[in-house]
Amino acid sequence: MSDRPTDTREHNDRDAARGDDRDLAMEVLRENERNARLVVDSIPGLVALLTVDGQVYFANRRLLDFTGHSLDELQHWGTNGIVYPADLPHVVEVFSRSIAAGTSYDIVQRLRRADGHYRWFQNEGSPLRDPDGQIAGWCVLLTDIDDRKRAEDAIRASEGQLKQITDSIPALAWSALPDGSADFFSQHFLDFIGMTAEQASGWGWGAAVHADDALALTLIWQAIIASGEPGEAEARLRRHDGSFRWFLFRASPQRDETGAISKWFGVNTDIEDRKRAEQELRASELNLRRLTETIPAMLWSATPDGDIDYCNTRFLTYTGFSAGEVINDGWQRTIHPEDAARVGPIWLASVTRREPYRVEVRTYHAADQTYRWCTVSALPLLDEDGTILKWYGTIVDIHDWKVAQESLRRSQDFLTEAQRLSSTGSFSWTPSIFQATWSDEVYHIFGVEPGAPLTDALLDSRIHPEDAAMWAEAMSRARSGGGFSLDYRLLMPDNSVKYLHQTAHTTYDDAGRVEYIGAVQDVTARELSEQALDKIRSELAHVVRATSLSALTASIAHEVNQPLSGIMTNAATGLRMLDVTPPDLDGARETVRRTIRDANRASDVITHLRALFSRREFTVEPVDLNEAAREVVALSASDMQRHHITLQTNFALHLPPLPGDRIQLQQVILNLLRNAAEAMADVHDRPRRLLIRTERENDQWVRLSVRDTGTGFNPETIARLFGAFYTTKEGGMGIGLFVSRSIIERHQGRLWAEPNSDGPGSTFAFALPIAAGVLKDEGMTERTS
Amino acid sequence: MMRRGPLVSVVDDDESIRESLPDLLRLLGFASAGFPSAEAFLASDLLGETSCLLLDVAMPGMSGPELQQELATRKDQIPIVFITAHGDHETRARLMALGAVECLAKPFSESALLDALNAALRTGGAQP
Repeated sequence: MSDRPTDTREHNDRDAARGDDRDLAMEVLRENERNARLVVDSIPGLVALLTVDGQVYFANRRLLDFTGHSLDELQHWGTNGIVYPADLPHVVEVFSRSIAAGTSYDIVQRLRRADGHYRWFQNEGSPLRDPDGQIAGWCVLLTDIDDRKRAEDAIRASEGQLKQITDSIPALAWSALPDGSADFFSQHFLDFIGMTAEQASGWGWGAAVHADDALALTLIWQAIIASGEPGEAEARLRRHDGSFRWFLFRASPQRDETGAISKWFGVNTDIEDRKRAEQELRASELNLRRLTETIPAMLWSATPDGDIDYCNTRFLTYTGFSAGEVINDGWQRTIHPEDAARVGPIWLASVTRREPYRVEVRTYHAADQTYRWCTVSALPLLDEDGTILKWYGTIVDIHDWKVAQESLRRSQDFLTEAQRLSSTGSFSWTPSIFQATWSDEVYHIFGVEPGAPLTDALLDSRIHPEDAAMWAEAMSRARSGGGFSLDYRLLMPDNSVKYLHQTAHTTYDDAGRVEYIGAVQDVTARELSEQALDKIRSELAHVVRATSLSALTASIAHEVNQPLSGIMTNAATGLRMLDVTPPDLDGARETVRRTIRDANRASDVITHLRALFSRREFTVEPVDLNEAAREVVALSASDMQRHHITLQTNFALHLPPLPGDRIQLQQVILNLLRNAAEAMADVHDRPRRLLIRTERENDQWVRLSVRDTGTGFNPETIARLFGAFYTTKEGGMGIGLFVSRSIIERHQGRLWAEPNSDGPGSTFAFALPIAAGVLKDEGMTERTS
Repeated sequence: MMRRGPLVSVVDDDESIRESLPDLLRLLGFASAGFPSAEAFLASDLLGETSCLLLDVAMPGMSGPELQQELATRKDQIPIVFITAHGDHETRARLMALGAVECLAKPFSESALLDALNAALRTGGAQP
């Protein structure tokens, strides 16, 4: 729009001057001008015509109507406010320059409407040239662009707001063309990488990507572009200060109406902290893995469903299986099939009920190809909601412990059984703190429920009243230390009496207190049988004598009958010799001599027997054991012969004399010989041989043994062999051994029997001390005849 | 010693018997020989000539009854009179059952001996 109304007037004046020259021409021209004015007024725009120097000399109707001004007023556009004041300097400057230079101009400016409102116009001015090409004037077209301009401004404002938003987002935003080259970066992005938009645009931003990540990022970005789908990638970007931070690149395509990608929009999120946390987690996981692989235990984990997903190497080495063989439910192969069948359901139940799992199974041990007992246990890891995240478990080899435990249990069983069988209980007792522990058998002996509290009242209710004082005294002595041994009785609630033998020795517990460890034995049966034995012992004494007498009588008869027989025969022979004629006096004398000799022999036997049986008291004198044995052998010889027994003797030389009662010892020897003879009575398939031997055992003992080749005895019966009524012989009473042992024991010796180790039969022997102390003073006063 | 009658052999380990009994037997009109054991008798030449055997029961080695058994096995019919110092009824009954002519308990009288010998020789068919 012209700001020099004078220009238009100058232009009009020039035209008028030319028209003065030819009236007709002028008329035509006026006609043309009228027509032109009509055209100009009809144009849907504001038109003004200006003179060469820019003065307005014409304005069409629309212009006049719009502004509400006359042509004259329009000529003063530079001062009357038709042009928006803020636009005026710019309009004046461009317009002036254009007029001066003779070039067209194009200005966007506001014009005041008649009602006072300014509207935006496009002000285009072009020079009008005459046929010579000289500028004859200016044509100015003002086009109302207010609506468009406002819309543009609105858009521009909105874009500005968007940019403001974009720039205020703490993320790095960007956009790119369909080919992937960047065309926009948020300010934050540019600030971060320290580049200008120009530097970054296209592919320039790539310089900020960490060298190690560049290739991968490029490949991923190309793949995303090729796919046309949203995608993401991770890479480090260099900050303006040179440090790198991890970003997550996210890109999404924007498509136009045809579906073609028109743009990529992207946001890069700083994930440095997350990445660092991940790395730390990885490091920590590595640490954890090292821990699980190094820890001297077998570890495993399972999914919430119970599938094994990890076993440490120690476990795999132990079982010899590979991880692949064990995971999921393959673990069942590592344990004994019986156990697998047993614990499989237990594991599933634990998983289902989310309860801790603990079983003992035999786990295959590759090193020695056996199964070893292990404890397998697991606990679930729960989140805040109580959901199982994972199961973690251990496997501990408890084989040695278990075997030891089993062995301990068995030995405890043995002990318990042994205590029960022997009626012996064990106890410990710490008097200072009134604490006692009883084995089950002690409870049983006392007739108390095992585990019942051990109170003084309980003991008082059991101790036999007659023994109570002795018991109390023994206990009070025990409290002051030293072991004790005590025989006492219990009076049970049913009025039965139990005889107990109790011994204890002192130890010290960890606290240094005196502690008694002891045993209490129920000896009731033994006690009662001993009482019974004592009772019958005296009754038996005469039976013993009678039995011995019977055997001895036979021996005596034999020994006496032999010489008597000689006497009678010789006497008869002598008589015959005297009766013949002439009498055979020499023969008769010989028979008389033989008679006397045999009579002496008989007398000797009697003397000997008297010597054997006349002793009535237990008298100690030095005894030559060989001599004593020889006499018995002589006395038994015929008996042995009668039983077809070959009797051999093997007497040691230079035996020292032993203190003892010779007759009683001979009685023992005789008894042993008689037993040996009887033991061989039923032997028909081998020689009946009897060896009586004396020998020196050592400095203190002399032994006499009688060895036979008889039927022997069962080793188990040895203990009973010396019982009062035991005998291997049918119909016999076997009292001899019982008495014999009594005699030997009163000589402080010992008498025993043993099966022959190198052949059939058995050996009975006794040993006597060479220098016995004082023999038992109770003495043996039984009479032997 | 001149033989004047049937041979009566005496087997006894007791020497006193062996020296006295043969003398008496000879005075009674028998031939007689003494042996200290059953084995000695069995080995003797006089075994076949013996008309009667006076046999001790209990002897070392082979006993009287065993000799009796041995002779029975040999079909030797020598009549046997046992002489024993253990003269109980049981022993006597057992020996008699086994075929002995008599069983004399030591000491025995001359008449008991003669009765036994006569019985034995009757059995054996020989006469003194």
